[in-house]
Amino acid sequence: MANGEIIAGFLAPHPPHLVYGENPPQNEPRSEGGWEPLRWAYERARKSLDELRPDVLLVHSPHWMTHVGHHFLGVRHLSGKSVDPIFPNLFRYNFELTVDVELAEACCAEAGKAGLTAKMMRNPNFRVDYGTITTLHMMRPQWDIPIVGISANNSPYYLNTEEGMEEMDLLGKATRRAIEATGRRAVLLASNTLCHLHFHEEPAIPEDMSREHPENYEGYKWDMRIIDLLRKGQTREVFRLLPQFVEEAFAEIKSGAFTWMFAAMGYPEIPGELHGYGTVIGTGNAVMEWNLVKAGLAGRGAASGYRPAPAYAGASY
Amino acid sequence: MPCVAAFLVPGLPHPMLKPDNLPWGQLASAYQRAGRAMSAARPDTIIVYSTQWLAVLDELWQTRPHLKGQHVDENWYEFGDLPFDMTIDTELAHACITATRAIGVTSKPVNYDGFPIDTGTIVADHFLNEGSAPLVLCSNNIYHDWAKTVGLGRVAAETAEQLGRRYALVGVGGLSGAMFREAIAIRDDRIHDPEADRWNRTVLDLIERGDVAGLKRVLPDYQKQAKPDMGLKHLAFLLGGLKENFFGARVHGYGPVWGSGAAVVEFRL
Repeated sequence: MANGEIIAGFLAPHPPHLVYGENPPQNEPRSEGGWEPLRWAYERARKSLDELRPDVLLVHSPHWMTHVGHHFLGVRHLSGKSVDPIFPNLFRYNFELTVDVELAEACCAEAGKAGLTAKMMRNPNFRVDYGTITTLHMMRPQWDIPIVGISANNSPYYLNTEEGMEEMDLLGKATRRAIEATGRRAVLLASNTLCHLHFHEEPAIPEDMSREHPENYEGYKWDMRIIDLLRKGQTREVFRLLPQFVEEAFAEIKSGAFTWMFAAMGYPEIPGELHGYGTVIGTGNAVMEWNLVKAGLAGRGAASGYRPAPAYAGASY
Repeated sequence: MPCVAAFLVPGLPHPMLKPDNLPWGQLASAYQRAGRAMSAARPDTIIVYSTQWLAVLDELWQTRPHLKGQHVDENWYEFGDLPFDMTIDTELAHACITATRAIGVTSKPVNYDGFPIDTGTIVADHFLNEGSAPLVLCSNNIYHDWAKTVGLGRVAAETAEQLGRRYALVGVGGLSGAMFREAIAIRDDRIHDPEADRWNRTVLDLIERGDVAGLKRVLPDYQKQAKPDMGLKHLAFLLGGLKENFFGARVHGYGPVWGSGAAVVEFRL
């Protein structure tokens, strides 16, 4: 029996400004830098990822939003130019990636068994969304690790936050079962910003950091509260507060990646490592890591990492 | 020069990609009838507002002179690819960018290779633009309310008139927003629920009769109960562009797309 496991999860937000600031060869626009503290945060995350040496990266992105169920990229090689429709001046990125189709199919099948509507995306001309691309570039610019790309079903918006998070909880658990069954050492990437209140105008020089700050003080305080709880390992309390955080800070957490990731990891009550926090056009972004190997919850001789779901995640599966 | 044609049309790709499925084929036929009406009107330029071209910071206008490519819808990729080949009326687009300042809207040009053209724009162009007239494409800024969108339509129309264009207006988007959230037998596609159907027909009836006052009266309830696509802002754009002057409309077709409401409507000017 295959003994795959999740070895880490990262909160890995996707503002394209970070790619723009880095000036990688794949991105057409050129910058003078910008958002350095957040990019340095990602450098620390990259180092950790390098040490973890996973077989696969799974990413759940809010910018592939689907109406009919949860979708999984199902074509082995995908390439193209990803252009951000909101920030085309910053992000026009030539991507090429490899999908772990076997794992994606296993995740899809497990999601179906859990009662979710799930589909495989098999169109070879599909353009991968810019959220997925940005998160993957910032975490692993070498693009040498296969990926599984997962859509954000719109249930939190179409239904309500709580019902949506129940679906993401089921999806996360299904993801875990698929990873275990296929023998992968997997890292999960939750592509989410925290407070998503933002400016409505862009500075003339986008990377002018004298114009960068939290858009909203209450939103900033929420971000700090959540990060503080996560740093202390108070996962249950975070999930208790999640609906209120979403409501009051317009948190992008609502789209489900964060819940998916934590459900897959088993809601571990372990401290998350904050690699860094910064704002991008006023939104709050944290790069954080839950290293299950260091916590003794993954790797050889690890104790079971499973914890029961928080009370609001009422799925009984 | 006046507006020579105006249409409200659906933006989902099913009628274009799978017209052999009867419910969607009926919408495709309706779209084709509208396309013939557009050809007969001989516009110099077609101004398109699609609910699916989302913007956040500013109002965006396509200014790349020629757009050609292949798009795959992120939801409906199983039904195929959406090729497009469009010419942009860049003079009018730039003039609109300048003109929107007068209504307090900051606009920006978009001229990038590979910029994602939305499904709704591609579908509307496919069916309505047999003559390959140049287009003006403007975005749906999600922070613009009904009134601001009406203003945007009005500015676009007035700017076209100032430049002497025979122009057509197209608002691309759906009616009731409830969709089936699982696989369906596509030949049995239907409006999601009777209440949504009733609301759609009420609104279409008011449009057909040219009853703008009646439309304004029911719209808040329609938006709340039937949750139409982006609050039906594509209609707001049309009403602004038409300055609310139309004699009525002809509904070429009404039907479901995966449960959501879709109608092809030609305004009588």
